[in-house]
Amino acid sequence: MATADSSSTALRRRDLCSRGIRLAGKMRTDVVNLLDAYVEQQGLDASASVAAVEGVPLAAVERWDEQTGTQRLLENLAAYRAFRALLAQMLEEQREQLGEADAGLGRALAAVLLQVSAFAYHLEELLRLESRGIPVEEGDGLPPPPRLSLFEQKLRGLGVLRELSQWATRSVRDLRQLAKPSPATDLAESP
Amino acid sequence: MFSMWNWVAFGFYLVLNICSPDASGGLVQSCGHIIPESPVLALGSNFTALCILNESCLDFGNIYANQIIWKIKNKLVPKEQYREINKTVSSVTFNDTSSLATPLTCNILADGQIEQNIYGITVTVGLAPEKPKNLSCIVHQVSRFTYVMTCTWDPGRHTFLDTQFRLRYSWPEEIFPDCIPKDVNNSCTITDIQFFVNTEIWVEATNALGKAESDPVVVDPIDIVKPLSPQNVSVSSGLLPTVLKLSWENWISDAVMTLKFNIRYRIVGDTNWMEVPSEDTASPRTSFSVQGLRPYTEYVFSIRCMKEDGMGYWSDWSEEKIGITTEDQPSKGPPLWRIIDKSHSPASWTVHLIWKALKPFEANGVILQYEVTVRDKSSLSSPVKNYNVTSTNHTLQLPEGTYEVTLIARNSIGASPPSVLLIPASNSKAPVKNLRTIPKHDKLWVGWTAPNNYVLKYVIEWCLVSSNSDCIIEWQIALGDVQGIDLKGIKPFKCYLITVYPLYADGQGSGQSVKAYLKQDRPSKGPTVQTKKVGKAEAVLTWNHLTVEEQNGFIRNYTILYKTIDGNETVVTVDPSKTEYTLSSLTSDTLYTVRMMASTDNGSRTGPDFTFTTQKFGKGEIEDIVVPVCLAFLLIVLLGVLFCFNKRDLIKKHIWPIVPDPSKSNIAQWSPQVPAKHNLNSKDQMYSEGSFTDVSVVEIEADDKKSFSEQDLKPFDLLKKEKSTSEGHSSGIGGSSCMSSPRQSVSDSDEGETTQNTSSTVQYSTVVLNGYRDQTPVQVFSRSESTQPLLDSEERPEDHAGGADSTAQRQQYFRQNGGQDEFNTDRPCFERTKQNTHGNEGDLVGFVQLQISGQSSQPLGLGMEKNTQEAALSNVLQTCTEGQTVRPETVEENPLSVDEMPKSYLPQTVRQGGYMPQ
Repeated sequence: MATADSSSTALRRRDLCSRGIRLAGKMRTDVVNLLDAYVEQQGLDASASVAAVEGVPLAAVERWDEQTGTQRLLENLAAYRAFRALLAQMLEEQREQLGEADAGLGRALAAVLLQVSAFAYHLEELLRLESRGIPVEEGDGLPPPPRLSLFEQKLRGLGVLRELSQWATRSVRDLRQLAKPSPATDLAESP
Repeated sequence: MFSMWNWVAFGFYLVLNICSPDASGGLVQSCGHIIPESPVLALGSNFTALCILNESCLDFGNIYANQIIWKIKNKLVPKEQYREINKTVSSVTFNDTSSLATPLTCNILADGQIEQNIYGITVTVGLAPEKPKNLSCIVHQVSRFTYVMTCTWDPGRHTFLDTQFRLRYSWPEEIFPDCIPKDVNNSCTITDIQFFVNTEIWVEATNALGKAESDPVVVDPIDIVKPLSPQNVSVSSGLLPTVLKLSWENWISDAVMTLKFNIRYRIVGDTNWMEVPSEDTASPRTSFSVQGLRPYTEYVFSIRCMKEDGMGYWSDWSEEKIGITTEDQPSKGPPLWRIIDKSHSPASWTVHLIWKALKPFEANGVILQYEVTVRDKSSLSSPVKNYNVTSTNHTLQLPEGTYEVTLIARNSIGASPPSVLLIPASNSKAPVKNLRTIPKHDKLWVGWTAPNNYVLKYVIEWCLVSSNSDCIIEWQIALGDVQGIDLKGIKPFKCYLITVYPLYADGQGSGQSVKAYLKQDRPSKGPTVQTKKVGKAEAVLTWNHLTVEEQNGFIRNYTILYKTIDGNETVVTVDPSKTEYTLSSLTSDTLYTVRMMASTDNGSRTGPDFTFTTQKFGKGEIEDIVVPVCLAFLLIVLLGVLFCFNKRDLIKKHIWPIVPDPSKSNIAQWSPQVPAKHNLNSKDQMYSEGSFTDVSVVEIEADDKKSFSEQDLKPFDLLKKEKSTSEGHSSGIGGSSCMSSPRQSVSDSDEGETTQNTSSTVQYSTVVLNGYRDQTPVQVFSRSESTQPLLDSEERPEDHAGGADSTAQRQQYFRQNGGQDEFNTDRPCFERTKQNTHGNEGDLVGFVQLQISGQSSQPLGLGMEKNTQEAALSNVLQTCTEGQTVRPETVEENPLSVDEMPKSYLPQTVRQGGYMPQ
């Protein structure tokens, strides 16, 4: 019975990893496309330097290959929860600024937001499979974001999308790593 | 009276109560209401409605619940369905709502007379929605980044109510807006679909009677995608003549979905597609090289794709693209054959070399020319002849011998392998055996048994047999190891002559032929039969064979059907090779109807009917009857002749009695010199001197039915003896009475101008003056210009003058046969005058002339006279055969009396006081 359960869990895990990988890949593609549309629509320079977005863990990390699976999942979940909030805020700001003038950009932002939400759901499911508690989302407890100027909002949005594309790339690698055999070892090593 | 006014007031109150506006601004309260108000009911369920009366109405008009009646659309509901709950509430119950209709009204029947409506409700009957079934979804790619998901389902039965369907979908932590179908109730399209997340999809149906949900479908939309087909497909030829490279672009990035492909291709003009093995194209790619193609062949390509793992749907096939492979050298030599014409001279052949153009997949390019080489095998010293030909035939004049012909086809790349044909001096090798055909659908299979020797190949010739055109030969070559081929292009109902030749390494076998049909039908017409000869009991029938176009199959037999008009039909089957048949045992002198039927394996056709009548007598039967009869007749005649010959004297005595020749009588010695006093001018005019030189008239009466031989001479004796008694009956013109024998008279001439030699002329005259019965006698006279002198009494002129007035004279008649006057005095009988056979022809001429002249119209005076003579003469010509008296027709047809005036010309008629010719 235990064997059957573990087998079923393994299949579910593999399926979630596979689906997550493809979702991350598609998300990356969509974000890249959205970045181009965003830069053009907002009148920004694609090569403009943007400071790190506050509240979002950096995708780039040292000793990435030494991370455990759970560690990867938790970092990913934290990042995508942050992205979900940021993208929702961007979408609201977008609607305030442009109304229905550029519905295409708004639809693309909404689509990416959905993908981020979906990916966060994938991560949560994977954590559940690994019998790990899901950290409580702290969004409601956070102080409201500072009021930014319109240009700052645009720059922040550019930074969010750039960081999201990087995280999408990293997430694909993380999930592939998770999908590799003997994940139990990794999980056992996790704190 | 009071009651009536009371009810009127009540009715008025009710109307006011219902219709008057209330002080509060609305309608006044009605006298009651129905519960429930406008219900929606399930079809087939039971339903109870309550009508509740207001207390105010009770107070005024004594209205109670027992007076309530229910109506459905003005139709009274049976009171069995009512129930009075209390004095203000009445209920009605329907066991099946399907009998309900709108509106349902509550009415008051006041005092059993006035019906007044209290309240009405609208009833809606329908069904709760069924659970939607068969929910399925498909994600269509509409552009590079746009996908829509369309879900369809079975909405279930019709509810008769306004039912809303909603397509709902959600993620575990996210619920999306419902998709509400427009104009339909069984499908909806979601536009903002997201991949890689399992989505729960279901359909919810809702109406006034309830709500139903379908079973949910949980699916990642990426697994139900129908992608767009690859775009910008192009085909390019490679270095090899059997390879074409196919390139395309995909609409979906690999990040979203990796694809696998199907590639199909076909030769232009062919309808059958071929497919590249799916395992060769099961991985993502944008190009593929298709191999194993035919050189110099146009191919059509098409491609489609789907998700690599097989989930989802295949895209539509892409647009078709055409590519052509490069040329290659011909793969084989053209099939070669020959037709040898030896008709001019057996020693000199006209050889028609014919070959078939290579098929495109054999030619591998454009054939530029054919190279023909002819080598004389019988003479090694003869040079090899080469011909370059662009057509597919070549004619050679060759002496009889053995030749080897080689043919090569050449295109821009190279030459084909050679085709070699050996033309032997004679086809002396073994032929094929057991040649046969079997129709197979639209093909005709020709099979044979191979000869014992090794055969290189077979040549099969066939041609359409026609009665009005030559057989145009088609041919085909089969390899030596086959023993049958299918002939294509064979028309049904047509006769084909098929010949098979085996070709050996060192010669050729003689051809074996067979006729065959792909499909047979009944003949298009029947044979036309006719008789060649008809006898008494047999008839020979002939017919022509049907033409090959009319046969439509092999004629298996002819059937002759013949019958009489009312008889049974007899059927005779005849071999198809015959064109003639003899029907026997027929009934003589009978009308027969015969027709003929030609039969093939697939039916028969009858020709037109032909009728003939058998003869009454058979051949020789008439001869068998006629010849003996004739012979018997001839024998009788011969015997009769012999008998007559033996008895000729006796016969002669009876037929030709001996007439005494007056010239030899003693009185002939007397030469009268007294000229005739008769006025015979007209006669003299008619008969010239030369025409009547000697006329003798002898009349013989045979009334006594006795032999003339003995009695012929008696009258003459009597004449001599009883001359005086006969004078009273003699006419005035030298005539003699019936009692008298021919009497001698002397023809006279008043003018004395006649040159007749009276001494040598004896005139006989016969005068008949007699009436028929009581009629006026017809005066007839005839005269003979005999030179025999008249008797004395006849010379008396008073006899002539008083003849007209004397009744006695009028009844006289002139007879030669004496002794019969007692019987004939009262009838104008003038027996036939038997002319002497010695009478010359001039006599006859004279008679004829006299008769003809009498028919001409002449002045009355002369005509009367002439007609009298004519009548007399015609009477002379009347006959009394064998003693029977024949009355002259002129007399008989014109029986005249004294009182009657003839209405027509009657020269014989003499009236008193009229002119009497003398």
